[in-house]
Amino acid sequence: MTVISPSENANKTRSDLLAYATLSLISIFCAVPFFWVLLASLDGNAQLFLRWPEQWTLANYIRVFTKEDGAKWLFNSLFVVGGATVLVMVLAGLGGYALSRTRAWWKLPFLYAILLIRVLPPTALVVPLYKFLLTLNNAEGAILRPIFGEYARPIMRWTGFIDGYLGLILVLATMQLPLALWIMKTFFDGLPRDYEEAALMDGATLVQRIRRVLIPLALPGLAAAGLFAFMSAWGDFLLPLIFLSSPELQTLPLGLFRAFLRINEIDYGLLAALAFIYLLPAVVAFGFARRFLVQTFAGGVKG
Amino acid sequence: MALNVHERRTERQLLLILLPSLALLLAFVIYPALYSVYLSFTNEALTGAAALRPRFVGIRNYARLLNDAKFWNALLVTFLFVVGSAVIGQFVLGLVSAMALRRRIHFRRLFSSIILLPNAAPEVVAGFMWISMLAGGEQATLSRIVSFFGVTPADWLQVFPLSMIIIVNIWRGIATAMILLTAGLSTIPTEIYEAARMDGATPSQMFRRITLPLMMPTILLYMLISAVSTIAVFGLVYALTRGGPGGATELVSIYIYNQSFTAFQLGYGAAVAVVALLISLVLGIGYVRAMKVEV
Repeated sequence: MTVISPSENANKTRSDLLAYATLSLISIFCAVPFFWVLLASLDGNAQLFLRWPEQWTLANYIRVFTKEDGAKWLFNSLFVVGGATVLVMVLAGLGGYALSRTRAWWKLPFLYAILLIRVLPPTALVVPLYKFLLTLNNAEGAILRPIFGEYARPIMRWTGFIDGYLGLILVLATMQLPLALWIMKTFFDGLPRDYEEAALMDGATLVQRIRRVLIPLALPGLAAAGLFAFMSAWGDFLLPLIFLSSPELQTLPLGLFRAFLRINEIDYGLLAALAFIYLLPAVVAFGFARRFLVQTFAGGVKG
Repeated sequence: MALNVHERRTERQLLLILLPSLALLLAFVIYPALYSVYLSFTNEALTGAAALRPRFVGIRNYARLLNDAKFWNALLVTFLFVVGSAVIGQFVLGLVSAMALRRRIHFRRLFSSIILLPNAAPEVVAGFMWISMLAGGEQATLSRIVSFFGVTPADWLQVFPLSMIIIVNIWRGIATAMILLTAGLSTIPTEIYEAARMDGATPSQMFRRITLPLMMPTILLYMLISAVSTIAVFGLVYALTRGGPGGATELVSIYIYNQSFTAFQLGYGAAVAVVALLISLVLGIGYVRAMKVEV
């Protein structure tokens, strides 16, 4: 029986209004801080507090790329985070497939172990990581310097473990790996085995099966794992703070942080423009990841 | 179960393609975690004599922790931060949003997009946005807003430092709570509510007798996930206050960083890190057990 009495209807309207009111309040709380970045970045005379610009201008954005090192920071961030993301996708694609298809005894212990790894706070790991990477870096330098002489330096910039792209890429990727492995494992669990078995019947090797059958089927899962890895690595501040010191290697969060430390001569318009440029890829990635985000968390709840 | 030759070869190949991931995790997570334990028993430093020849000092670092007021302060600040922002703030606002978004109202997607937005902001950007909201005394955005309601403006980050970082972290984490709790709510069959309504139950009775009990597994999982991720917060608070003023916002994560990279006491910093690792591991084991029940 679905007869709605008048009082019940009024009740419904009232609780709907309540829902609108609470959601509006929470939304205002969530949105207001963003206005400063947006408005100040377009303000010719930006201040630390939120205000409506008197003169609208794109000059702040232009200055980020011409007068400041914005372009360099953006490139460094894209290169390091992009590299880490690709590495995560490749490793988690392979590893997730293995975790989904294997029937070995180590499967469940391993899956729970990587959940535990995710729990460890990065701040508690960076000191030993720093020392370890320093050792690797010194060893690498000791090998490269006698061979390449003065050319060892530019090589180390790309392949170094401390103050080089490679070390940061490897560590960033490792931090994102546990979640990515879980995503890919769950994703492959949902893929029917028929295709692989058909390919197996045709005598395809593991490599052929992965390349011709699994990669095309796995693309949505890889996209999800990649988006998550990109978002977390893009937002990370601690690892570049510790592992990079050369100005030419600085990434966006570091450039932003250092720009803010210039006490008394902070250029708020420039800072806001830089922050907006840093914010944008994260928001775009988040927009794409939204769907997966809900699924992943829902998966965590339902198992 | 005996595997045939072919299956055994496939299993070996599967292990082989997992190996690169395993190697990275061992090298950059497991080894540093164990190395951290080792470091905590030495007087290792970043500069000075101890940097050249670190010595094994036994449990001296841990003994020092017991008498270190700043360490206990960091633990207390972290505890209040986790309870205030994750256990209470994000949870309540996330639950309220999730329940409101279940109603068939307009602009649902818009509301949820806006609530998700803070989660997308990189730590440092979030920090600066909130500096613009809070810093600058009477000039601060928040001061201007609240003075409209007759509240005296203040230098918020100086006067209420811990409350402010709690509010900022609540802002950042409503989305996670909302998503998780929405997923939990969606598992409760609507028939139960209809039956309760037939029996004349009030909304608050339904919330206490149906929603909360049935949500308990989700709430537990949320509490563990959010506590663990809140203990790990570093960049957001570091960009806002760098632990100050006077240690008021010096979380354990910031204390580790300051000890290791500002005071250069790597051994002592590692002892603090080991404490943080142990706390996270205990929570993490609870999290894994909760997942095991669900999986």
